Amino acid sequence: MYAWKCWRDTRWFFVVFLGIAALPMPLTAFASHGGTAILDAGSLACQNSFVMLVSAVAYALATICAIQEFTEKTAHFLFTKPRSRGYFVWVSWAVGFTELLIFAAVNLLVGWRVLAHYGVSAFTNATGQSWSAVSPRNFAEGAVYACFAYALTFALAAILRNGLWGLGASLGLMAGMIGVAAGIQMRWKIDLPLPPQQIGHLPLAFSECIWLTLALLFIFAAQLVLERYEL
Amino acid sequence: MSETAIATTNLTKTYGDIRAVSELNLCVPRRAIYGFLGRNGAGKSTTIKMVLGLAQPTSGSARVLGMEAGKERVAIFERTAFVSEKKTLYPLLTAAELVRFSRGFYPTWSDEAVQKCARRLEIPMKQRFDKLSNGNRTKVFLMLALSQRADLLILDEPTTALDPVTAEEFLRMLAEDALDRGSTIFFSSHQLEELERIAEYVGVMDHGKLLLQARLDDIKNDFRLITASGSGLPVEKTPQIVSVEVDGDSCRYFVTNDAEGFATELKRNGATVTESIPLSLRESFLQLVRKE
Repeated sequence: MYAWKCWRDTRWFFVVFLGIAALPMPLTAFASHGGTAILDAGSLACQNSFVMLVSAVAYALATICAIQEFTEKTAHFLFTKPRSRGYFVWVSWAVGFTELLIFAAVNLLVGWRVLAHYGVSAFTNATGQSWSAVSPRNFAEGAVYACFAYALTFALAAILRNGLWGLGASLGLMAGMIGVAAGIQMRWKIDLPLPPQQIGHLPLAFSECIWLTLALLFIFAAQLVLERYEL
Repeated sequence: MSETAIATTNLTKTYGDIRAVSELNLCVPRRAIYGFLGRNGAGKSTTIKMVLGLAQPTSGSARVLGMEAGKERVAIFERTAFVSEKKTLYPLLTAAELVRFSRGFYPTWSDEAVQKCARRLEIPMKQRFDKLSNGNRTKVFLMLALSQRADLLILDEPTTALDPVTAEEFLRMLAEDALDRGSTIFFSSHQLEELERIAEYVGVMDHGKLLLQARLDDIKNDFRLITASGSGLPVEKTPQIVSVEVDGDSCRYFVTNDAEGFATELKRNGATVTESIPLSLRESFLQLVRKE
């Protein structure tokens, strides 16, 4: 029942987001005068729109999904239901995450379908050179970054008991990490990996798994904090 | 099975230097209606939160339906309905949707009770919660609590915002629930009259301390305000004498037990007992919490 409530809270946002997911590539095709631009840079547009939109929606979904009870002052009602607080944390996380996956899938499928209409592969550039070694990696890294951002924002919103504070803290932390990494690189010439980059000489897939595991640990941390939270 | 629905042992909660609840030993028998009285800030809500495991006690412990509060929170909530002093629910959900939401959590849920409450309390089931008046919001909360068919109902100022007619109807429903199903009802209130009408047991709290815990009938029978005049009257408080007001050569004693024996003792010592008045719950409450 809680999943139903979470879905009900976010469904209109989700519908709007789905519209946003489906629109970029058809609009690009429409604006590209018969597909000339699509032939030149369609696959790049598809990748860029995927990475940007999925990341932005990850932040947005985490902000609206994370324990709305705290902003609505309804924790007294929800947390006196016979379920553990961890249940509420994970269910609301899962609902938002499912919506994020659907958003990503719709964006990717619509992009792929539009490109296919013009005979362009999402994984091939205009010169016919195969990007297969590069493009899937771009999509995968975009998806991992979105998962990481979603989990971090969700966890911070739950811990701070306020969606917007969580979003601010998450954006600040992400920007801070970039700044710290840049500072360390300048000072000590050490490359600090940032999500979703490859970690040292580890295989890429393994690095991405580490980032995803870290993302899940944020949710566990949020659960631990909320279980100790006094109403 | 434990015969006590709620039992606390030296339950204490401090916030910094403030002692919100101090060594509370509460005992709520099963199948009883227990009224929990106290002024604003007396520590009633903090006590309820600790009993439900929503706040950690600084020291002491609480058991609810034989289970340890805090450690067995989920099991306690399966059998306990709670109405918070903050009557806030999901603003965009209608009462019917809130029923749909709550139903799945409780195996003992009764749709029949929902219909009965909606009819008797005249709840607009299809209106969004944020569009309801304060009174109707409270009614929705109460309906959800009663429909749980819980063994224990903990209600924190349940009738606040209710009009007298609805409050009366609700109290009747509570009494019926306790009678029909043998549920235990523990409710805090400022409304002494309504509490006096349905409660069997009363606990009075002030400044975090439990001043009194007794059967209501015992309070009505034993509590007396005795006025005496004469010289050498006792002015010390004892477990029997809760308060003494000195006015010239006369004294007014608030006596909690064996009032007749106390009056006889006064007479034996040469005093003249001019009045011995039985006290209502309101008068007893005022005597207990009045600042010196």
